[in-house]
Parts: sequence; structure tokens; C-alpha cells
Amino acid sequence: MKCVRCLLQLQSLRLLGQSTRCSAQYSSLLPSASSQPGLPHSTQQQVSRSFHSSSACSKSRPVPTDFLKDQDGKKDKSLVVQKDLFEEVAKDIKTKATFNKVVEVFTKRDVRRRGHVEFIYAALKKMPEFGVERDITVYNKLLDVFPKEVFVPRNFIQRMFNHYPRQQECGVQVLEQMENYGITPNVETKVLLVQIFGDRSHPMKKYQRIMYWFPRFKHTNPFPVPRQLPEDPVDLARFSLTRIANDLDAKVTVYQVPFTDVSESGEDITCPHIVGIQSPSQMELLAQHNPSRPVFVEGPFPLWLRNTCVYYYVLRADPTPEEKKEEPYDPERCFDYPLQLDIDLERDLGDDEEFDVEDLDEGPVYAMCMSGQGDQATLNQWISGLQQTNPILGQVPTLFRLDSGPRDLQGPAETESGPRHQTDTETHNQSREEVQDEEAEEPRRTQGMKQ
Amino acid sequence: KTWCMCSDYCTEVGILMHLWHLSSKGEHINSFLFYTKQSCAEVFPYPEVGNEEAEEIQQLVAPVEKFFAEEVDSARIDQEAKIPPETMNGLKELGLFGMQVPEEYGGLGLSNTVYARLAEITALDGSIAVTLAAHQAIGLKGILIAGNEAQKNKYLPKLASGEHIAAFCLTEPGSGSDAASIQTRATLSEDGTHYLINGSKIWISNGATADIMTVFARTEVVKDGVKADKISAFIVERAFGGVSSGKPEDKLGIRGSNTCEVAFDNVPVPVENVIGEVGGGFKVAMNILNSGRFSMGSSSAGMIKKLIELTSEYAATRKQFNRSLSEFGMIQEKFALMAVNAFVMESMAYLTAGMMDRPGLPDCSVEAAIVKIFSSEGGWICVSEALQVLGGLGYTKNYPFERYVRDCRILPIFEGTNEILRMYIALTGMQHAGKILTGKIKELKKGNIGVAFGMAGKRLKSAFGSSVDFGLTGKDGVVHPSLEESAKKFEQNVAFFGTTVESLLYRYGKSMVDEQLILKRVADVLINLYAMTAVLSRSSRSISIGARNHDHEVLLANTFCSDAYFKNNYLMTQLQKHSPENNDANIKKIAKEVLENRAYICSHPLERTF
Repeated sequence: MKCVRCLLQLQSLRLLGQSTRCSAQYSSLLPSASSQPGLPHSTQQQVSRSFHSSSACSKSRPVPTDFLKDQDGKKDKSLVVQKDLFEEVAKDIKTKATFNKVVEVFTKRDVRRRGHVEFIYAALKKMPEFGVERDITVYNKLLDVFPKEVFVPRNFIQRMFNHYPRQQECGVQVLEQMENYGITPNVETKVLLVQIFGDRSHPMKKYQRIMYWFPRFKHTNPFPVPRQLPEDPVDLARFSLTRIANDLDAKVTVYQVPFTDVSESGEDITCPHIVGIQSPSQMELLAQHNPSRPVFVEGPFPLWLRNTCVYYYVLRADPTPEEKKEEPYDPERCFDYPLQLDIDLERDLGDDEEFDVEDLDEGPVYAMCMSGQGDQATLNQWISGLQQTNPILGQVPTLFRLDSGPRDLQGPAETESGPRHQTDTETHNQSREEVQDEEAEEPRRTQGMKQ
Repeated sequence: KTWCMCSDYCTEVGILMHLWHLSSKGEHINSFLFYTKQSCAEVFPYPEVGNEEAEEIQQLVAPVEKFFAEEVDSARIDQEAKIPPETMNGLKELGLFGMQVPEEYGGLGLSNTVYARLAEITALDGSIAVTLAAHQAIGLKGILIAGNEAQKNKYLPKLASGEHIAAFCLTEPGSGSDAASIQTRATLSEDGTHYLINGSKIWISNGATADIMTVFARTEVVKDGVKADKISAFIVERAFGGVSSGKPEDKLGIRGSNTCEVAFDNVPVPVENVIGEVGGGFKVAMNILNSGRFSMGSSSAGMIKKLIELTSEYAATRKQFNRSLSEFGMIQEKFALMAVNAFVMESMAYLTAGMMDRPGLPDCSVEAAIVKIFSSEGGWICVSEALQVLGGLGYTKNYPFERYVRDCRILPIFEGTNEILRMYIALTGMQHAGKILTGKIKELKKGNIGVAFGMAGKRLKSAFGSSVDFGLTGKDGVVHPSLEESAKKFEQNVAFFGTTVESLLYRYGKSMVDEQLILKRVADVLINLYAMTAVLSRSSRSISIGARNHDHEVLLANTFCSDAYFKNNYLMTQLQKHSPENNDANIKKIAKEVLENRAYICSHPLERTF
């Protein structure tokens, strides 16, 4: 917090026209970090951290510009002008090309590139709008707006003081936004930064920090979600289900391909897709299921893939109350060696490396599916499809415990996580309706089989 | 002979040597290393054949050797993947199809020792060796050891003459060592006169040529009013109908032997063709498998001896830099390795065979398994080194080495894979050690000061360098003084092994079954110890009777023993708790991570992250 405040103070003071003395006071400590080891450690850190702490910087960022607006209406005109430039050049088409065009227009307008800092801030804000927030070339182009070699300190005094702090801040901000979007800078970025700010500047240090961490973090997620999710709902379901199952043996079956048809009476019939997954071990478990106990179809459960939410359903059973019987030892089991030792000695405590894990009462999950529609009829089709490979499902009563969850599955990317979460909690609060008409179930399912 | 048994010898070694298998079923104790007064005599002195038998061997060996040298074209057998009928007839005429069948049934009635001797020669052609072994070591063994008089009379004469070929049908697509997953089923017909066998067996040696098959199938047995599925053994004639064999497998080696799938479709088998009792097939199978392995030692030894002849000629004639290959150290090393291996295999094989020939049908299954593992692995190394001597020439089909390499690769796989046999050796040993040591370890765990002090004292004593002496050497010792060093090393290993086993039992108890990496090392130590015993015993005898070149034997024995001594010490150090040499946890973790992904998971060294 301290450093944020410090930074704010620093900027506001400067902008109010009293900057010279104060900034000198603070920034004199800054570049000295390496060259003057004799300085008190605490102050050194305090000030230099204003550049290190990325999140703090990003939060504090809008404040000075707002502040600026309030304080000095005339000066911040440039900001408005930059925003206008974007609106002007790219009126309705917001693409990478138009964005680049805006940048070009700006660079060609004035040789001195007056107001480039404001322009870059404005451009950074506009980037998501133009869909270029993940494009390294655009960031490089933006950095290219800075005039070269002007801000590079030329002597030790300049190097010691915070040389062109506003421009450096702005450069850091560009890198900051890259960092937030997970964009790794490339060599071009580095060359630009060196040309603009010199090789010991704050943006350069920011660059180095990013380059230190990003490659190391690149593969931290063992289950990466691709940036581009498959468009086809069946492919998406296939992807999601294999992701949940995390079993290389699990087999995905497409029970129904989505299609729309027009019935005889002229109504549109939409058949939703039904994609299920089941592994051999799940089949084995299901085959051992006690037929007198019901199995449940439950759902929908949400699965987030970046900012897309999909829903899946599971076929599961209640945890078996009776203890699992261990297979009795059969001395005539293995032809070649004894499978058990007849020794009255247990494992020594010192060598017992097993954890004491509390048993959770969670029933087995036999299969999972994703469907375009979460109604019982659709899911019944899934169950009848499963029945072909798991004949036991013909004898087991199947109960549907479905939440009246969101119907528009795959409401893709646009939906923000906030509101969707809310609807989820709402639906969960609704009492679960249990449909228990097994008698009625059976014929319907066999109908489904015939189809 | 008298054997001096000092008290130390009895307790220490007695305990340890229990590790070896002894028949727990009967009172007959036949462990080769269970050094009580009788069983010490089992390994020392080395078993001998009588003069008559020696003569018999001479008479048998000469024609067989001649036949293999002149009539058998191994390259052709390998190429055509078939043993020509004239070769088969020659083998039949020599009586090689009924070597162990008693004379009253028309066989040669050979002892295990003589059988092993002939196996040395037949092993010169892998395909013939496997065909013969599948026929008599397992195929007709069931009738021989568990069949009744009527069955023997009916089947053995024709099998012994080679008119009928036998096969052993146990393995199924879903069942290797697991008896519970055998799917072939024999159902009793309504009139109770015959069984109907249905199912299919895979990897059956002689599957296409066999007329008589020992088939294992599931039968329903009612025991104490409870119905249960048990394995039974049947003699099935191809003539019963319903037996069909698949396409012969196209194999890497032993290409001349026939291996294929055999399917049984409602094959009617009369009830009198059940071997042993109905439901007693498991024991029959186990006995057949256990008794079939011992000859692999002499087979491998025979093969290596032949290879030494072939390669040494090349090494002596080939010149590089005006020196013959045989002058180069690295080439010499290969020959030494082959000689030592052949010597150890021979020693083990004939020690085991000799023990099996003792009256009372001793159970030497652990020893046989040890011989099988040692000889199959040693054989593989030797064959590959022999090929290496010839370099590129050895890699071509102009020389027989590549064929030997291919043929040899089956040895660690069939007749029980080496992994499974290691489990058998180690677990059987542990079971016996457990029986003896359980009481002591329980006391120790309870905190009995007396026992703990006793053990600590013993450890302290050995730490201060008090030598271990089990009386193998010295006055009245069984080992010749020129092997004293080696015998001492053996004794030290044995003593160390005793404490190691004790601590393993203390640490793991019966959960040892799941500690395969530990069991593997225990088995390896046991294999080395048995090998050491065999060479010590054999060369002691050779010196004592003044055998030809016995000084060379001493040299081989001492070389092997000091090598095995270091290997054992290393293995046993690994077995100690928190041993830095022990990488087990890492090994398991690596395997887990690889197997979870079913792939090699490192990123490519040329990959970049930025």
C-alpha cells in the first residue's frame, strides 16, 4: 500500500506543478539501488517497489488520469482527442487493421509525437475492444510510438534520477497489460525498449522480470485449456468429457448428432446432441451394481473452460452401505508363485507410509454425458444408448434428479461469469424434483432403443 | 563323510538356509542349503554319476552329437520355419522323444542328470530343443508324474517313440499365471461318461503337430456341498474331434518350432482321461511347470560352449594392427565372461539335476527356477557378446550368431518369465524365513530387551570384524583349501543375508508380497548364493578327484565368487533401510508418471518456452 500511495503522491505532486523538488526527493533514491549500496535499505526498497509491484501499479493507474482531468481540464484534452481518434478512424469496424491504422495515423500526424503517452494509455484501453489484446505485434507497434533514444539517459546523473518518469511509467504500463493478458514479449519488444528507454530503465526491468517468470510458468497447468475452443458442440462435449474423465481408456460415444428437421405437421424438430463417456472400469463397476438399488441421473453440473461454461450430467449411485467384501485368498490362484505370505507379521509402523484418509461417502459415477438439452427425454435417450453396452441398466431402476438448470447450454464466451453464477445458485436452491416413475420409464426407453 | 557342525553354524546358517525351499507338505526336507547334517550332504560333495551311468552317457551322447553335427541344418530350419521330417525321424530313432519315459513304456528311462546332459546337445538347435521340451518336459510330463497306470500304458509308448507328439495347453488369451481367469471349461455329459471341453488356448508349442495334449480346464466340483470351479487336467487326443489349431505364429526366434493357437469345440474327453483327480489340475500344472525348468541350465551351457568354439577360432585368426583379436583385452574379457558363465550354469544345472535324482522325488522347484533365471540371462549376455566379437559379420546371416541371439531371447520369457520366477524364489524363501523368525521378531517388536541385546551384540561383533565361520573351510571343511577365500566370501554373504532377511521381515512382514523391487533383490542374492555354492562344490570335487584342468575350474570359481560377492554386497546394501544406493522410490515415481501419461513426458530438448 505504501508504495502505491507513494506513487500516487509522486505523480499528483508533479502534475500539480510542484514536481521538481518532490520528485527529486523521491526519485533520487531510485536508480541508485545498484550503484549506491550505502543508502538506507528501507527507503530504497520503498521507492523502487513502486515500479516492481505490478498489481498495485495497475490499480492505481486510472487514478492519475482521472485526477488529471479534474485538476486541469485543458491539459487532459489530449486524452479525449486520442479517444476521439479511435472513434474517428475506426468508426464501425474494429479490427486489428483499423487499430493499426489508428496508430499509424497518430505517428504520422506529428513528427514530435506530441501526446504519445496519452495516446498509448488510450490505445491500451481500447485494445480489447478491437480484439487485439493478445497480439504481440500490436503491442510492439504501440511501443514503437515512443520516440527513440530521447528518453535514454546520457550521463550518470540522468541515470541516477528517474529519467522521464511519465514515459517510463507508460512503457511499464504497456508491458503490464501484456503481462495481464499472458503475452510473452519477444526480441522485438526488447529491442524497442532498449532503443526507447535504454537498457537499465524501468520498462526494461519489467521486461526482464516478465521474461524470468513467464517461461517458467508456461507449463504449470498440466491440463491446459486451448485458447480456441472447438465450435461444434459435439466436439466441445467430446473435449470437455475427456477432460473431466481424465482416463485414457475412457471411450466417448456420440449417441445423437444434432440436427433439425421439419415434421409432417410443419413444426421444427430439433434433436439435441448427446455425447457420453464411459471407461472400462466404470463399466465394470456398473456391472457389479446391485440391481435392486437405483442409479441416478444427476445434473446439470457446470464446467468452466476459460470463460465458456458447459454443463454435464452424471449417472451415479448412492454409496454402497455394506462393506466391500474382500476376495478370499485362493491358494490355487497363481501357478507360479504364492500370492500371499503366511507370516504373522504386519508392516512395521516405521515403514507404513500410507496416509490415513477419511472415507468419503460418495457413490460411484458410472458414466457422464453432455447434451444440448437437459430434459428427461433427452437424457433417457442417453441411458438407453448406454444400455446397449451395459445390459444391467435394463434391470436397474433409473431415477432422474435434474435441476431445472440453464437450457441454453454453450452460451459461449460472451456470458460473464458473474451473472451466470447467480443463475446457478438460484437453480440449486430450487427443490430437486425427483421423478420416480420407473414403470413409465421402461417402455419409453425400449422405444428409444427401437428408434 | 562327517560334517562338523559347530553351534554357530547350526543356528545362523540353519535359519538362513531355511530360506530355501523345502517341502512343507511332508517331513522330507530337501533344501539344498538347509545345512542340517543330511542336507549339507546334498550340496557337498557335488553329486556324481555311477560308472555304469557314465558309460551309458558315453554311449548316448556320441550318436546324438554326430546326428546334430551332420544331419541337422539349423539355418534351413530357421529359414523354412519347419523341422524337416527326416530330421524329426532321426530324432525319433535316437529315442529323444522319450528320454525320461521309463523303459517299461518304451522310453530311455533317463535320470534327470543324463537328460540334462543330452539337453546340452539338443540345445544346439533352438527349434529342436523347444520342440523336444514341449513334448516331454511339459507335454507328456502330466501323464508321467500324475497319470494312472492305464493312462501310462495307453499313451506313453507311442509318445516315447515319437509316433505321437505331445503338447501342453495351459495359457489362454486372458490367463497366464492366473488360474482364476482360465476360461476353457469342461462340462460333464449327462450320462457321466465324458467331459465336453470348450475354449481356446494360445501359444501352444507343438500346437499344430500334437496328437496328445494335456489340457487344463475349469470343472465344477462339489466340495462339502458347495459348488466350486476347480481346474482339472485332461489328456485330449486330437482324434477325439473338435480340436483345431490356428495359423503358426511367426516368431522372432525358435522359428522351426511350431507355436499356435489351439481351439477346443465340444471335444468329448472320456472321464478316464482326467489326470489325477477332478479338480486337482492346479497341483498337476504346478508340478509340471516346476519340474520342466531345470534342464535350461545345461542347455544354455551347451550353447555357450559351442559359441566359444565358434568365436575363438575367429578371434585367433582375425588380425588387426598385426595382432590377432585374441590379444586385445576387451576381446579376452568376452571369452572369460563366456567361460565363467558356462561353468556356473553347468555347475548349477548338474547340482540341481543330481539333487533331483536322489531317491524320494525331492522337490527342487526353487533351485530349478534359480537355474532357469541364471542360465537364461547369462545365455543372453553371452550370445550377444559372442556376436560382438565378430562385429558386423556376426550381424549377418552368413554366421549362426544372429540366429542364436534370436533363439536365445525366448529363454527369459517362456517356462515362467524370469520376473515371475524371481517372485517365486524370493517369496518361497521369505515364507520359510518367516516361519522361523516370526517369534523372534515379535519379541523384538514387543520390546523384549533380551532379544534386542542379543541381536545388537551379534551385529556389534560382526561390526568389529569377527569373522563368520560356518565351517565350510578349515579342518574337516567341505571346501578345498584353494577355494578358501571364495568360501569365506560366501559365508560372509550368507551371514549378511541372514540379517538382511531378518530386517526385511521386521519391516514389511506379510506385506512383503507387494514389495516387488525388494523381492527382486532378495531373489538375485539367492541366485548368486546358489551359484556360489554350486561352483564351490563342483570345483572342490574336481580338485579332489584330480579332474582334467581342475586348476582352470578353481580360477573360474574364484573369479565368479569374488564377482558375485560384490554384487551381493551391493544388493544387500540396497536392501537396507534409508540406503542411498536404493533408488526404489524414484523408480516407482518415474514409472508412475510415465504410465499415467502412457508416454515419455519430457519436453523435447530442442523445444523453447519463449
